[in-house]
Amino acid sequence: MLDLGYLRKTEHNIIMIGLHPQILQSMLDFDFLSGKTAPQTKAIIGSGRKWEKFFWGKKECLIPVYAKVDLMPAKIKEKIDLFINVSSGRRALASTPETIAALPNLRGGVIFAENLPEKHAIEIWKTLQQVQGKEKNLFIIGPASVGILIPGKLKLGAIGGIEHNQLTAARLFTPGNTAVLCSSGGMTNELINQLANQNIGLSFALAFGGDRFPILTPESAFLTAEQDAETKQIVYFGELGGTDEYRLAELIKEKKITKPIIAYIAGSVASVFAEPPQFGHAKALAQKGEETAAAKKIALRDAGALVGESYEEFINLIKNNIMNDNNQTRKHEDLSNRKHTLFTCAISGEKNGAPTILNEELTKLAEQMSYPEMIISILLGHKPKSKELVDFTELVLKLLTDHGPCVSGAVNTMIAARAGKDLVSSLCSGLLTIGDRFGGAINEAANNWLRGAGEQTDPAVFVENRASAQKHIAGIGHKKYSSHQPDPRVKMILNFSQSLGQKTFTGFALKIEKITLAKKANLILNVDGAVAAVMLDLLKEKEGYDNSALSELVASEFFNALFVLSRSVGFVGHYLDQRRLDEGLFRLPEEEVASV
Amino acid sequence: MPRVKLFEHSAKRIMCKRLSLPYTGIAITSQTDVDSAVKTLASDKKYVVKVDQGVKKRFKKGLVTLDINHNQVKTALENLKNKNFNYFLIEEFVAHNADAEKYLCLEREREGITASVSTAGGVDIEDNAGAIKKYLLDSAGCEAVAEQIGLDVETIAKLKQIFDDCYFSFLEINPLIVLNNRPYFLDLAAQVDSAGQFFANHAWNETDIVEDNKKTPQENAVAVLKKNSQASFSLSVINPDGAIFLLLSGGGGSLVVADEIYNLGYADKLANYGEYSGNPNEEETYFYTKQVLSLLKNSKSDKKNIIIGGGVANFTDVRITFRGIIRALDEDKDMLNKLGVKIFVRRGGPGQTEGLKMMKKFLEKNNLCGAVHGSELPLQEIVKLATKK
Repeated sequence: MLDLGYLRKTEHNIIMIGLHPQILQSMLDFDFLSGKTAPQTKAIIGSGRKWEKFFWGKKECLIPVYAKVDLMPAKIKEKIDLFINVSSGRRALASTPETIAALPNLRGGVIFAENLPEKHAIEIWKTLQQVQGKEKNLFIIGPASVGILIPGKLKLGAIGGIEHNQLTAARLFTPGNTAVLCSSGGMTNELINQLANQNIGLSFALAFGGDRFPILTPESAFLTAEQDAETKQIVYFGELGGTDEYRLAELIKEKKITKPIIAYIAGSVASVFAEPPQFGHAKALAQKGEETAAAKKIALRDAGALVGESYEEFINLIKNNIMNDNNQTRKHEDLSNRKHTLFTCAISGEKNGAPTILNEELTKLAEQMSYPEMIISILLGHKPKSKELVDFTELVLKLLTDHGPCVSGAVNTMIAARAGKDLVSSLCSGLLTIGDRFGGAINEAANNWLRGAGEQTDPAVFVENRASAQKHIAGIGHKKYSSHQPDPRVKMILNFSQSLGQKTFTGFALKIEKITLAKKANLILNVDGAVAAVMLDLLKEKEGYDNSALSELVASEFFNALFVLSRSVGFVGHYLDQRRLDEGLFRLPEEEVASV
Repeated sequence: MPRVKLFEHSAKRIMCKRLSLPYTGIAITSQTDVDSAVKTLASDKKYVVKVDQGVKKRFKKGLVTLDINHNQVKTALENLKNKNFNYFLIEEFVAHNADAEKYLCLEREREGITASVSTAGGVDIEDNAGAIKKYLLDSAGCEAVAEQIGLDVETIAKLKQIFDDCYFSFLEINPLIVLNNRPYFLDLAAQVDSAGQFFANHAWNETDIVEDNKKTPQENAVAVLKKNSQASFSLSVINPDGAIFLLLSGGGGSLVVADEIYNLGYADKLANYGEYSGNPNEEETYFYTKQVLSLLKNSKSDKKNIIIGGGVANFTDVRITFRGIIRALDEDKDMLNKLGVKIFVRRGGPGQTEGLKMMKKFLEKNNLCGAVHGSELPLQEIVKLATKK
């Protein structure tokens, strides 16, 4: 059941299923022009990018995109109370019940799609009846609905227009006491505008859609208006086809609807056709006499509604019977001439000519922050919450700085330096060596621990799967170190995890090591594996990252960033060292290359 | 999700296949080789020939020829063709007593699929409306219907299943004959939900759907346009020699404008009804406008006007749609000028200021301007302006 009290009182958290950029922008503009401090739309369910750019006032804002409702972070999922489904008529049946099931605090939504099969609309209606009252108190408006609008509070759908100047022209920000109920989306907006021209304010406006089986029925919309304390009268636009008006007439006679109704039923013109065509809306076809506009007008009038014989008479009835509540045009910030930017940046910028990091002046941060804290802030895009993460970053940066001249990256840097190349070229030569086999295994190790522990894979099965696929496990194994001669760096890293609680990922990594060590002594947990495991645990336990946020970090190669940064110092060092020693061009002795 | 009519032949083919019953009806269209079709008929059987074009009350309109021999079929077909029909059906005649005629009508309703049943079926069913009983087809409903009709419950349940799976909306069998627990669908009218085609598992396609009495090439062109677009279009000719031509937008707004012409007593001058909605692009609106202009060109009325009307759109872009309309008008401006056509515009929505300005400039420059207004003018007023004098 539609609860207008709830919809008026609360700040909402809305998701858009599918993406209709113009409708979404108009919902944001409505929020902004209503004086809200943040957009009520919190996420988009769609494919493609991670974020979509919109305007919030004249500035830009980002709305996150998730591929499925289920993939939204739990924090957002719990907040969402409304949806606007703009996916196609074919998709609406699949996406709507899925949304209802996934969102624990959902209160309702709108289905925009036209061309939803009757059978599907009925199925959604039935789903709603089943959960109604037991688990949830839900409303769904549509299909083929432009939505619901409550002045200054909520615009859920295209209703009221999609351009900011349409919203201000229709004066959608001062509440009044006239409800507009309508099957037609276009006529809902037409009436909203005509009321605005008469300085008549809206209590709310709702388009139930022109399909044969609206999920929120006209009857239910009228009862909502009847129970709504803000609504004093109802303006109703109906069409030929269907028999809803007879039910309304009964409700009026039974005194279940007592508020004044001013109505028009369109479609008298049907009588000039020998065989009336299908008019614009799916329901707009009178197959029986009782479904004609004329018959339905009589039924409503007999019940006591004010019914316009012509549309003009209907408009005059509105003018003469509704007091204007002085809904004058308000002054709004002019939102024209907005232009989207080409780039978005969230980590640094400039304020009054001074560089900033995460919106704070760099010079101030330089005084307050340690270097590792600044690094991890910029890498994550936000300041760390815990001292542990800063300390760990420092330790990792130190431990990975250099590992002698013989490792691949250092060799390449040295060769480039000896060939007389400059600093940047020599450094790049080293950096370009980083990959799956050298240095770049931290990220893959993080992927292993995240997926293994996340899916609660049995460690033995995990190892067996890799072995049978003849794949080595990133994070496990070392050329030099073994169980007899442990890597002292790994010990330091693992020591760090002792301050942690569950240690999900470190625990998993150690279980893997136990199994692999039984096979071969050098299949130990290596630096890459240890850094990945402890970093995952820290982010989860101290920074509040959930598994989906962690997999995003993996997808963006965050875990390798630490190595790249740290080892750059080593490579630069080797370059400068070679320049000082100046040994001349290196050539590999021929006997070092086997001819086969 | 409009409901559309299936050909009787298609509906029976779909149902009989799924009920494992033989169906031997022959569909005749303008493409059929009638002689070879008639040759397949048996000399020892009797036949029925009827119009299969979604027409109601065929029997009373004389569009059914009953109980004829195979060599009379061709003449019967020609007689019906002379009544301006194009689709026909030849079936075997099932001899029966009039009192064996039953009535069964399935319909998709909110609460479920319902069946209206009567044992007094036949052409006069409407005179016996009191005898019709209606059931919700749950298991008890199926039993009750089965008992009344004299079929087993499984057949009724199967019928309901076919109706549901194939996205039927309406299925009227009248008369229905039952002989030895086998149903014979003598006459049948069916509607499917056009939005369900994708889900109906290839049970039917466009070729099974009766075109809604589309007669003019312009109406056919718009039907094709609609099929291939995300947006929505309709066009129906009311009077080919009408004087008021409508180029309307929005399902509700278009009805209001058309109603108002009717309310003011100008229904006899109304040439067409139609609308575009759902934010069509420029090309589509151009094409749609061309069809309306082509109707206008053909009308023999000496005074012709166009109303370009609609409410205040939520999301249909007035700029873009008007660009398409203006392009089409521009191509025909000489014709419009020669006929003294005036154009009356009332429209609101996204891009309204720009769109209306563009339209006004074009109409004034070409001496076609009746009036151009935005949402400041109440919707119905444009009809008054267009019908003045």
